Amino acid sequence: MTDTLANAAAIATPTVYARRKRKLRGSTVAIYAFLIMCALFFTVPLYVIIVTSFKTMLQITEGEIFSLPREWTLEPWYKAWNTLCTGAECNGIKSGFFNSLQILIPSIAISLTISSITGYALALWNVKWANTFLFILFMCAFVPFQIIMIPLIILMSKTGFYGTYLAVAVVHAILSLPLLTLIFRNFYKDIPQELMSAAMMDSGSFLRVFVEIILPMSGNIMVVVLILVITSVWNDYLVGLTFAGFSSQPMTLILANSVITSRGEVIYNVDMAAALLTAIPPLVVYFGLGRFFVQGITAGAIKG
Amino acid sequence: MAVKMSWLAPRVALTPALAVTFVCFFLSILWTIYMSFTRSRRLPEFGIDFTTWGKQYDRLFHDGAWTVALTNLIVLGLGSMLAIGFGFLLAVMVNRERAGEGIFRTIFLYPLAVSLVVTGLVWRWMMNPGLGIENFLHELGWKDASFNWLAAPETAMYGIILAQIWQSTGFYMALTLAGLKSINTEIWSAARLDGVSFWRLYIEIIIPMMKFTFLTCAILLSLGVVKAYDIVVAMTNGGPGQSTWTPAYYTINAYSIRSNIGFASAAAVIMLAITLVIFLPIVSLTAWQARRQAARA
Repeated sequence: MTDTLANAAAIATPTVYARRKRKLRGSTVAIYAFLIMCALFFTVPLYVIIVTSFKTMLQITEGEIFSLPREWTLEPWYKAWNTLCTGAECNGIKSGFFNSLQILIPSIAISLTISSITGYALALWNVKWANTFLFILFMCAFVPFQIIMIPLIILMSKTGFYGTYLAVAVVHAILSLPLLTLIFRNFYKDIPQELMSAAMMDSGSFLRVFVEIILPMSGNIMVVVLILVITSVWNDYLVGLTFAGFSSQPMTLILANSVITSRGEVIYNVDMAAALLTAIPPLVVYFGLGRFFVQGITAGAIKG
Repeated sequence: MAVKMSWLAPRVALTPALAVTFVCFFLSILWTIYMSFTRSRRLPEFGIDFTTWGKQYDRLFHDGAWTVALTNLIVLGLGSMLAIGFGFLLAVMVNRERAGEGIFRTIFLYPLAVSLVVTGLVWRWMMNPGLGIENFLHELGWKDASFNWLAAPETAMYGIILAQIWQSTGFYMALTLAGLKSINTEIWSAARLDGVSFWRLYIEIIIPMMKFTFLTCAILLSLGVVKAYDIVVAMTNGGPGQSTWTPAYYTINAYSIRSNIGFASAAAVIMLAITLVIFLPIVSLTAWQARRQAARA
């Protein structure tokens, strides 16, 4: 059906243009000029770190921040990945990359499972206090992390998880539970009651309806939530700082430690390469799945 | 209903979420509030000395750095508000000239996918006095240009605000663009037929219609500002001196550097109180609005 619509639109468009054939108006030019200037404001920083990361230190010290590299070098990228120093250790940012992955995967598994099932139960099953619970979740979504941080640290230490990948992943899952549950619930509540009744006749059990009927329908929302989880966990600094041990530090933490808090000679091209390496995974997600990304960030905001 | 639905199964399925909400949010918040009245230092102590129960708060509000942090919170909040205005302006323009909407939206929004730590690093590099934009402007011949904002206590906050605006404008553009698109198309054509001018259309009709979108933006922004931590660490690490401390930074610092649980708890409780003050108006306003709509219907 979408195809037919697109075809219809394609046929209709030329006639519309033909009727509205008009001179290029001054306001249009002004608007585009302004939009392009703004686009520069947003892209210049990215351009600057990309060119800086390919320059030699010699050229960087000349100070022309916007110039292209005279000779393109991959050395900063190699150094950032393999030999960047954090304190006394010089193992590069690669350990952080794998740490982040090991935090991300359990975090995705826990978050998606619990919040989708909770959202499903709250939206489609008769639970009298569902609305009260939703309101509480809504409040929890806005609680500042600092107020629950210390008890969670103590809880993690007491159970022996503190400093492991799992601890960081679990804390991420806890923090994102309220928002993700609300997103899932808002998606599932639009499923018609007749469909639920039919599904109940058919199989009947809570879990079977979820797995056989509801899950296959939730592809879109799963991708949206997945993007939300990936970007927030990958870009997180604070949870990693407070819950990761020395050997389980996520990538942002290693980046921050080696670039910001280190003393001594600053090697800008390596720093910028490390920053880019850290930023690439979420950027790939963004450019690859942009439509879902927009849905994800606005879903939480508007429907919340 | 004809179909009998299980009573037990959904309740079992809800148990994990209930447990997390109860233990990790409800109990944890109570625990932190309780701790703020004790004299806990490195380890939690549970006795409250009732003659000095407010000591942590007393110390907090007599600490110069906390006053600085609260002031910075307001400065950062007001400064970041520019991101909403800027984002709305972009949304209006993108919405007016349809061609290229996708490209512009992609460009304006991508910083949101970049972490605040990386954002901070990038802008720190741009503001580098010897090698960054300042140097570039000097070489162009503008000798007085000063873009070394992070080095001076008076301007460091503006540097953070600039980076914050760069990162978050796209988000507010996306929100307000969604708001603009949800406005009934008849209004646009009616306005065009009546010859209502561009400015009047927006100021008198569109913006009032979108007041809930703007309220949402403002609330999200304020909550983001209360949480501002990463960007401060990445850009200035609190410095120069303590001039760019924020309450979030202060609280983490009190816990991890000063190792003082009671004191950090008191700071965290004030953070929660600030959040509530921001948050309560929207809850009551939404509830009031819903009731009014229900009454009208």
